[in-house]
Amino acid sequence: MHALVIDDSRAVRRILRGFLVDLGYEVVEAGDGEEALRELKLSTTPVDVALVDWNMPKMSGLEFVKAVRANAQWDRLVLMMVTTETEIEKVAAALDAGANEYVMKPFTKDIIREKLELLTSSPV
Amino acid sequence: MTTLIEGCDEIVKDFLVESYENLDQLDQDLVALEQDPGNREILASVFRTIHTIKGTCGFLDFGKLEKVAHVGENLLSKLRDGELELDANRTSALLTMIDAIRSMLSHIEDDGSEGDADYGNLIDLLTNLQQTGSGPEAAGTAPGRAPDRDVEDVAQDAKRSAETAQAGGDGTLGSAETTTTTAQAADTPQDSAKQTKDTVQAADTPQDSAKKTMATAQAAETSGTVLSPAPSPTASSLTESTIRVDVDHLDRLMNLVGELVLARNQILQFTSKEEDAAFVATSQHLNMITTELQEGVMKTRMQPIGNVWNKLPRVVRDLARSCGKDVKIIMEGKETELDKTIIEAIRDPLTHLVRNSVDHGIEIPEERQALGKAHEGTLLLRAFHEGGQVNIEITDDGGGISTEVLKKKALERSIITTEQAARMSERELLNLIFAPGFSTAKKVTKVSGRGVGMDVVRTNIEKIGGSIDLQSKEGSGTTIRIKIPLTLAIIPALIVTDSGDRFAIPQVNLLELVRLEAEQIETSIEDINGSPVYRLRGNLLPLVFLNKELKMQAAESSAAGSSAVSIVVLQADEQQFGLIVDEINDTEEIVVKPLGTQIKDLDTFAGATIMGDGKIALILDVMGLAQRAGIIGELSSHGIGEHKEQASTGSDQRRTLLVFSIGDDRRMAIPLDLVARLEEFPISSVEVAGDREVVQYRGEIMPLVRLSRFFNTNPDETEQLQVVVYSHMSRSIGFVVEEIIDIVEERITVTIDPDEQMGLDGAAVVQEKVTDLLDVDAVVGAAAPEALEPAATAEAEA
Repeated sequence: MHALVIDDSRAVRRILRGFLVDLGYEVVEAGDGEEALRELKLSTTPVDVALVDWNMPKMSGLEFVKAVRANAQWDRLVLMMVTTETEIEKVAAALDAGANEYVMKPFTKDIIREKLELLTSSPV
Repeated sequence: MTTLIEGCDEIVKDFLVESYENLDQLDQDLVALEQDPGNREILASVFRTIHTIKGTCGFLDFGKLEKVAHVGENLLSKLRDGELELDANRTSALLTMIDAIRSMLSHIEDDGSEGDADYGNLIDLLTNLQQTGSGPEAAGTAPGRAPDRDVEDVAQDAKRSAETAQAGGDGTLGSAETTTTTAQAADTPQDSAKQTKDTVQAADTPQDSAKKTMATAQAAETSGTVLSPAPSPTASSLTESTIRVDVDHLDRLMNLVGELVLARNQILQFTSKEEDAAFVATSQHLNMITTELQEGVMKTRMQPIGNVWNKLPRVVRDLARSCGKDVKIIMEGKETELDKTIIEAIRDPLTHLVRNSVDHGIEIPEERQALGKAHEGTLLLRAFHEGGQVNIEITDDGGGISTEVLKKKALERSIITTEQAARMSERELLNLIFAPGFSTAKKVTKVSGRGVGMDVVRTNIEKIGGSIDLQSKEGSGTTIRIKIPLTLAIIPALIVTDSGDRFAIPQVNLLELVRLEAEQIETSIEDINGSPVYRLRGNLLPLVFLNKELKMQAAESSAAGSSAVSIVVLQADEQQFGLIVDEINDTEEIVVKPLGTQIKDLDTFAGATIMGDGKIALILDVMGLAQRAGIIGELSSHGIGEHKEQASTGSDQRRTLLVFSIGDDRRMAIPLDLVARLEEFPISSVEVAGDREVVQYRGEIMPLVRLSRFFNTNPDETEQLQVVVYSHMSRSIGFVVEEIIDIVEERITVTIDPDEQMGLDGAAVVQEKVTDLLDVDAVVGAAAPEALEPAATAEAEA
């Protein structure tokens, strides 16, 4: 399984990578939405799930979701928004735009495991 | 620690490095926002930083930090969404929050905990500030005092804890680390969107934050490798296109390159005698590569001056606020690069100068408006390259400096004498501000009157081979211009030989070279009571013999007139002097090496270098040499020396005088600074025009006044007339004297006899003999009133 972690914070990327590697994922990282899109295009092995930070420079999480959902070849890509309490009401917009799930910071490895298992075993 | 994740240490380090970097940007952003409160783009970036810190804290279990960041984030999100408006109080509170976050981060860096400081007040304040949202304007201005005090109190609290944290942190800053940044790396995405000549938002500053996170810097290196499977070949983020390198490594590299340059020079010297074409070609190749390598390594040590400047908006903002002033700071040329060591060296002087400008230069808004200026003062920082040097200018549009006030103060403190004051040009008066023990502040404020005077600023600038100059127009502002070399490691120098040894003289001190053929020596080098002087274009240039000062065995005495003499004209402080050496060789780029501990206290040498032939040459410290030779402080052209022993009481003054005789054993003196030149004319060259004696001198007709006739004395008749030339407003007059006796610097007590002869300015005991003081103006007025015509009218107007 391949996961793409999109966050402008190196520290957060490292935390998420740690969780995902423990859960058996191979992880690639991107610092913003544009880089993530490039990564998706160039990647030889398809990415199964992307963890998307809401608030990033250049391209927001919402814009990223819209860009992914506008491209049919990434239909099966699971999008999980990573957000905080402050931004929680805005996640609705991302879910409307085609994100599959959200998770609120801080979260544990178990929470992420549960959500990912649910999402990936029952494909959208 | 109960954390949600393993491998926590590395992540904490990452978190610290990242947060420090972002916080530095935040300082800039918030100050910029105050100018442009509605800028959503900046607000969004500020929000994002705090948001990220808060988000990450949750994972790392830093509850207190999370709480502070959380209330800050709430306030910021309202600001960003336009529900609230950013005013001065909110900016202050947010800046205080940043300080608090920094303080906690630095605790975390030290011992992994967030520290004991209580941020309850800050949290309350930040919470209150987001609830007064109904009337954003009113919250900022109308209730005035109460919230204001709140902000200040909290700021104090936070500052205190920040300081303790800083004190703890400083101890650990053992080995300095820096980041080498490529030019494009400094362009953050935000930056590119802004105009080039922007006001405050500066480029990202990895170096600055690196300094703070020294302890954690290796983390960055590690993370560099861990994260390195870069997702795409075009590395996009700033952090990934730079690496952090220990400054010690760079210093070592620089040193090695220096050695390589020297070895290259040696090889090239051999090559010049070699005929093997292949060998010559290889040497040339080596030569080129070495030069390129040298430039490359130098470049790694270069940092944009923006790294120092970036701290200033915050400094200016806080200071302006505490003085009740409005100050806008504009920066031009912040990408101008300087060697790291120089960047470090100018940090404090620059900060001091900027504080001065805000504190003493720029007026309070009411005063400015009364003068018809914009209520907001402007502070312009400019940096640019010019002639292998970097110029830095600090300009304010404040009240300027009053030369009258300066003069008065300098006289009160006996820094200058009354007669010097009268002769000093505007520019010289302004530069009095750099004299030791001088400060123009009407009152000592906690901000800039902390005992560090402008003299210290000048000393620090001069220590790195720089110079500082000040221009000011009363009422409209002040410009301070600093010139500094690009680097200290490799400097251009003049190589000279004396007594069989070679010496290097830094080019910055060098003014010109004069070569005197044997036959010229006698006529142009004059001996005034054992002090040799040379007349360089009419100015008396004191001479210093290198072999005498260094007590070397002269190979052959060249000064006696047996052969040609080389004079190296040097500038030390305000004084020029000529250094006599056996031979002038060449100018070269030399690599400066520090002296060994045994001789490093010798102030005549600034260092050593290795020459092309592998031999060592000592680098002369021109200032030290001038001091040793007694040039500085004795013949100082303005006498801004050490005159601090005693306050001047009018007549009891220290003066530098030219003493001469006019016949009948009558001694007379005039202040040396009135003397333009000393000349000798054969009696046959004197012509008579009208009823006056004149000589042709430098293409003009110069009237002569025989002081013996004026004062009725009978001098010894000689074939040569000794003439003291006095110039005023580009007109000259020659006083014919019997004999020049000496130049002395003495504290004299002037007594004035009521029945005094016309043309005297009193008398004094000089060198234990009674000496009359010549009143130049009176003598000119009586004996040759038309001689200095333009001057006479000028004085009449005055």
